Amino acid sequence: MATTGNKSINAKLVLLGDVGAGKSSLVLRFVKGQFVEFQESTIGAAFFSQTLAVNDATVKFEIWDTAGQERYHSLAPMYYRGAAAAIIVYDISNQASFERAKKWVQELQAQGNPNMVMALAGNKADLVDARKVTAEEAQVYAQENGLFFMETSAKTAANVNDIFFEIAKRLPRVQPAQNSSGMVLMDRPVERTAAASCCS
Amino acid sequence: MSTTDDLPNSEPLETRFNSIALQDEEQEQPESSSRLQAQPPEEESLCRSVNGDGILEIRRVDGDGGTRNGCGWRRTNSELEMDGPSSPSSSGYAGERGTSGEDDEIVEISNDVAVMDSQLPWTPGKRHVDEDDASISWRKRKKHFFILSYSGKPIYSRYGDELKLAGFSATLQAIISFVENGGDRVKLVRAGKHQVIFLVKGPIYLVCISCTEEPYESLRGQLELIYGQMILILTKSVNRCFEKNPKFDMTPLLGGTDVVFSSLIHSFSWNPATFLHAYTCLPLAYATRQAAGAILHDVADSGVLFAILMCKHKVVSLVGAQKASLHPDDMLLLSNFITSSDSFRTSESFSPICLPRYNPMAFLYAYVHYFDVDTYLVLLTTSSDAFYHLKDCRIRIEMVLLKSNVLSEVQRSMLDGGMRVEELPGCLLPHSASPRLGQHKQSTDSLERFREPFVGIGGPAGLWHFIYRSIYLDQYVASEFSSPINSPRQQKRLYRAYRKLYASMHDIGNGSHKTQFRRDENYVLLCWVTPDFELYAAFDPLADKALAIKTCNRVCQWIKDVENEIFLLGASPFSW
Repeated sequence: MATTGNKSINAKLVLLGDVGAGKSSLVLRFVKGQFVEFQESTIGAAFFSQTLAVNDATVKFEIWDTAGQERYHSLAPMYYRGAAAAIIVYDISNQASFERAKKWVQELQAQGNPNMVMALAGNKADLVDARKVTAEEAQVYAQENGLFFMETSAKTAANVNDIFFEIAKRLPRVQPAQNSSGMVLMDRPVERTAAASCCS
Repeated sequence: MSTTDDLPNSEPLETRFNSIALQDEEQEQPESSSRLQAQPPEEESLCRSVNGDGILEIRRVDGDGGTRNGCGWRRTNSELEMDGPSSPSSSGYAGERGTSGEDDEIVEISNDVAVMDSQLPWTPGKRHVDEDDASISWRKRKKHFFILSYSGKPIYSRYGDELKLAGFSATLQAIISFVENGGDRVKLVRAGKHQVIFLVKGPIYLVCISCTEEPYESLRGQLELIYGQMILILTKSVNRCFEKNPKFDMTPLLGGTDVVFSSLIHSFSWNPATFLHAYTCLPLAYATRQAAGAILHDVADSGVLFAILMCKHKVVSLVGAQKASLHPDDMLLLSNFITSSDSFRTSESFSPICLPRYNPMAFLYAYVHYFDVDTYLVLLTTSSDAFYHLKDCRIRIEMVLLKSNVLSEVQRSMLDGGMRVEELPGCLLPHSASPRLGQHKQSTDSLERFREPFVGIGGPAGLWHFIYRSIYLDQYVASEFSSPINSPRQQKRLYRAYRKLYASMHDIGNGSHKTQFRRDENYVLLCWVTPDFELYAAFDPLADKALAIKTCNRVCQWIKDVENEIFLLGASPFSW
């Protein structure tokens, strides 16, 4: 399936979110298939790359896993500038992290690349008993703001590959120096651009 | 120019070296204040300090005139001394000596090698978070460090939860501002066995409360490093937050950095760089280090400010752009920051960091990549969008390092270790292995052999350990620990003794000391300071003085012989 796609897309992807939401855990699960219970705080930003094959293309993600610490906030533009995609991560057992995620969405809508594919990830979905943010609430917020939403668990790996896969599918197939205007796009990206334009 | 740039073993070096050699009693030079003269053994029963300035008073404790004299030290200090316990009872701080049995007291220890060491291996991160100033255990901790703001808000505490220490923090702030209101500045308060040391850095206050009997200068130096570590993370521009809002709460800004501070504080007890203000190199063949330096030079020419290849806290090679120089303290803080955070090990990282001695106001950007578990590359730049360039640089560097086997040599050197006292050339120890360092050098024929009165554990003449610091290079080399300095506790105790020695040799207003010979029940400590180097050596407490002096000369010769393997020569930013 991977080889059927003849196109190769490089996509910069940034993860944003509150301290301890699980950004690094998501990336490590996706890139290395690993999970550690006590992941140390990221310093600055960590860089990873991972290639995914979708139906029609090979997507090479260049992933910036940013630190959620407040002191690095002002540096975030350095990492999301020029990004094709962003995953905004919150912890379903922590309401404050959801509020923080909304702030990131606002910032990206105001400052980010207007064609950016944005995903909202409600991480730690395995912590059902400690849930503070309902899936419905997040889903509604995501729809209103033109994001797609998934609940993920880096611990159980649930939806982790799926969220990256979904981003890969939604990435605009128009790459510089590639005439792909004839490509059939799925209906979702259209919906996304419409939503994004109404908000920004 | 560095004299060590001379060819090794060249004649001028020899003669220069001879001219400053320590003298034993046969070559007494009565007028020379810069030479240490060995006393006849019978006089040694009186412990005496060469340090004639009144700072340290050595008094004899044990009067039997035998070989084991217990000597205690007492500081007759020139600092501000306050009578009585100064800790207000409201704050709950107990001015009592901490838990007994830790490392700082002068206690009778058996010479048994198998001294039990109850100390657990150090684990990173903050411990005892459940404590506060009302906890007995918290009060008994031997060494506290606090960072607080000038409005009394806690920023960091080594032990306990900062939030719960707000009252205590306010007390510390009150002491500082009380003295400041009188137009003065409080540096040190003594309360029984405890010293409270204050350091004011604009709106940031740092306080150490310790009953470890370390000198004021050492503890203040440690506070300076803690402040530097904070600046490395945040830059000095954090002061502006306080200008806007004096009640600014800084703790969130330092979120997740407990591990960095706790690792720095831990390094005060094992890393001599924390008081020597020098860095150390991993021993490597000259050609290997040259190969690493050459490729680092290449990238430094392409817009990289500093390129540093390190293995744990030891430098493999380092290169600075023209005119840029890296202070050893900055290197210490940078390597502590990197090695204490596991985050750097998971992937290549790009992070803002500030080098306080280079420019405390501005961030640099650090590209960090681990080649293996211990070996990492740091590329520093002023440009925030240089990541991909630095990544390319790293790939080039990695290719060269692999091709020239630098990385495998580094790993081998880590396994082999550094200089060992047992391998001191010219000694006749039965168990001494053939030296790995300086194998090509002349062996014993040019060095006069000497006989030992007894063969103890450790090196010849009861030499247990040494540290040699080259002034010009800003580098030091420390021997590996060997029996009987085996346990972390014993090592910590030795480093504390060195620290004390260092402080007494570098006491401001009293810089005339060149040598110091000190005997107590734990060690004989010998310190020798010249314009070129400083040597700190620890011997068996029963070591013969004349032999100890000879051995020190031999150590210096050994270091000269292998200097191009143990030091980074030339090409360092310090030689600009």
